[in-house]
Amino acid sequence: MRARLTGARPLLHVALTQDRVNIAPWIALISVLSASSVLVYDWVFPDPEAQRILQLNITANPAMALIFGKPIDLTTADGFNAWRAGALGAFFAGMMAIFIVVRNSRADEDSGRAELVATGVVGRAARPAVAVALAFIAAVLLGVVSALVTIAFGGAVADSVMLSATFTASAMLFAGVGIIAAQIGSDARSASTVAVSVLAGLFVVRGYIDSSGAPDWATWLTPFGWLQETRPAVDNVWWPLLLVVGLAVALVAVGLTLHARRDFGMGLVPPRPGPGRAGMVGNVWGLALRLHRPTMVAWMVGFVVLGTLLGFLANTLTDVIAENPGIGQVLASGAVSQDDLVGEFLLTMIRILGIYAAVHGVQIVMRLYAEETEDRADPMLGGAISRATHLASHAVIAFVSTAVGMLLAASVMGLVADATGDTIGFGDVLGQAVATIPAVWVLVGLAIAVVGAEPSKRLIGWMAVVATFALTILGPLFDLDEWVLDISPLWHVPNVGATDPAWFGLVGLAVVAALFTAVGFVGYRRRDIA
Amino acid sequence: MSTSDPRRAAAWIGAGRTLTGMDSVITVEGLVKSYGSFTALHGLDLQVARGEVHGFLGPNGAGKSTTIRVLLGLLRADAGRVEVLGGDPWHDVVELHRRLAYVPGDVSLWPALTGGEAIDLLGNLRGGLDETRRAHLIERFELDTTKRGRQYSKGNKQKVALVAALCSDVELLILDEPTSGLDPLMEMVFQEEIEAEKARGRSVLLSSHILSEAEALADRVSIIRDGVVVETGTLDQLRHRTRTQVRATLERAPHTVEELALLEDAHLDGTHVSGAVEADRVGEAMALLGRYGITSLTVSPPSLEDLFLRHYGEGNSVAGDAGHVGRHAKPEA
Repeated sequence: MRARLTGARPLLHVALTQDRVNIAPWIALISVLSASSVLVYDWVFPDPEAQRILQLNITANPAMALIFGKPIDLTTADGFNAWRAGALGAFFAGMMAIFIVVRNSRADEDSGRAELVATGVVGRAARPAVAVALAFIAAVLLGVVSALVTIAFGGAVADSVMLSATFTASAMLFAGVGIIAAQIGSDARSASTVAVSVLAGLFVVRGYIDSSGAPDWATWLTPFGWLQETRPAVDNVWWPLLLVVGLAVALVAVGLTLHARRDFGMGLVPPRPGPGRAGMVGNVWGLALRLHRPTMVAWMVGFVVLGTLLGFLANTLTDVIAENPGIGQVLASGAVSQDDLVGEFLLTMIRILGIYAAVHGVQIVMRLYAEETEDRADPMLGGAISRATHLASHAVIAFVSTAVGMLLAASVMGLVADATGDTIGFGDVLGQAVATIPAVWVLVGLAIAVVGAEPSKRLIGWMAVVATFALTILGPLFDLDEWVLDISPLWHVPNVGATDPAWFGLVGLAVVAALFTAVGFVGYRRRDIA
Repeated sequence: MSTSDPRRAAAWIGAGRTLTGMDSVITVEGLVKSYGSFTALHGLDLQVARGEVHGFLGPNGAGKSTTIRVLLGLLRADAGRVEVLGGDPWHDVVELHRRLAYVPGDVSLWPALTGGEAIDLLGNLRGGLDETRRAHLIERFELDTTKRGRQYSKGNKQKVALVAALCSDVELLILDEPTSGLDPLMEMVFQEEIEAEKARGRSVLLSSHILSEAEALADRVSIIRDGVVVETGTLDQLRHRTRTQVRATLERAPHTVEELALLEDAHLDGTHVSGAVEADRVGEAMALLGRYGITSLTVSPPSLEDLFLRHYGEGNSVAGDAGHVGRHAKPEA
């Protein structure tokens, strides 16, 4: 074993210095997620009455549990933090670990840099081991920083440490998933897709279990459920973490074994010969379609799965209301009608779909810039196509694919909801989804604007999606001012089910999306190609 | 010392300029391009005549690729006049690119696309693709077109880009170090194919640092240094401006090296003499050496490598005075 790891120490040193700029934003994001809930809690929910309303609001909207998990105790700042940052923090920690591992193992093989390293006095297992070690170091660092920052902002010591430890465990687990995916995929991009799909799949299954009123044992079906069973800030149970870490170690062992059997630069599936002639990729549009096809297929599967789950969820709302005496009282008082609750629930679900679609669209647009930095834009633009055509071939796919995804998910959701009950009808779902498309396009348009005009600032494209998520899903809970909520494009989507929908919002969204897109096209025409 | 001769300097500068009346496919005058505070091109001049193979020589980082990317409209010129096939490369992108094909030095293919797909795609993006030529070139370059981009070696990626460019129906080929990674056999195939392109009347801008390739193919060459073209002309013209190397073994040794003042950088070791002489004074030098009785003699006209080293090699005996380049670069810029 020792010989297999020869050279790991200096490699780890290089990896640490190289990669810390990529790791730091993730640690910052998750720490802020945790610390901010502690910080705002006393301010937004100062008295037991406000806290009770919060608990009711969240319980009455199962779509919230889909993202954040089941609320256990929202009457303390730490309990609120465990709910708001727990599942989401574990999700982001998993993403961080996957990207660290793939970037430091598979991506280096694609670029050829690993070839320089592998031919040095370096053991066979050293490179993947370094990638995993780096992810583990980042995981521990994440836990420490997140705990310290949360405590500094007023979190209780034991509760904050417990919650942060779940982030660490999640990152370790998905480092294991990442190192296996890095052996299966034929390149870094497909390895990331495999690993992130596993992560997202497990997260959605966890969300469905949490929001559908499934029996208690079902929680144990996903590792995210194991993390929840630590019950941070309520019981602080440590032993489920051992399960997660144990699984992580097992996955890493599998990954290293697979690595030892694999040829350098190849995936487990040997590449097959392809067509000698172009067929559909013979022009710009066909090429763009072909480049995005694998991603689009994966996302469309995701849209269908998400639509199905949301469809089933639609009819659980009545059960939730029936089971919760608090909500019953509110309904009885006449302050809120059941239709209001259903409407709010449907809106939240479609907004979640919208954010999911926006991530897809922004990813497609970002791919255009990757083509440029990987030197593949030069020969294209050296051909007889204009910059506008080149940008349009990707932009059109981003617009069409997000719209098709929304329609697909909404159709499936509407069908399932219609078939399993009568809370929500097919038309309601589809109408709301169609009305949400322009808001998604605003985010896609913004990504086109930055990638087209100022690609060094392309992070703005992603930050806008994160901000939209935070404002739309969490904003209302925090009683934010209307003008702050107005920053989110999703906030301007009319409620189609309302008696008098604010249709002019759609016009505004369409104009903004068109403006952003125009900025992207004008900018792309004017700037140097990297 | 000879280079400080004002008459020669004037003629030397003139040679780069007096291409009037020539039908040129590329005309660059005073091109400036900066990246932030770094200036890559400081007033570069370049002319490529229709139907010629023009060697564009210089080491990495001299500004060759930057120039080419301006010619392709990928970068916008900060100053200067740039004309390609009678058009402006920044504005007339589509029309111009229908008439030219480009091979980058560092070919990056789409990992999931086969070589055949990439050739068709790139060919279609240009003036269209000649099927007979495509088949011919794939056979000549011994290319397997069913492999995926990620499976190709560096040389094979290069071949994909070359086939795609050479089978396109275009007037102008812009090749940026096109043979990096090719083996010697393929290098020969490449040279034959470029000769064939030239015979078809196509113009070629061949950026290279492989001097034997340029020597074999180029009608004229331009040498670039630090973002400025420091020499341009036919190989003969350039040779004529450089000294010829002379080595001889004499029957009788001269008493001192001063007796051989005609030779520059003369070096005397017993009866072995070496030195350099101006191209138009070789005869005089032979007469001088003849007085001592010549038992063996090598007279080598400067190779392109010598020319190149004269501009780049510092402290090199062929380069002579290092200040030379700077002084001449100035009026050229």
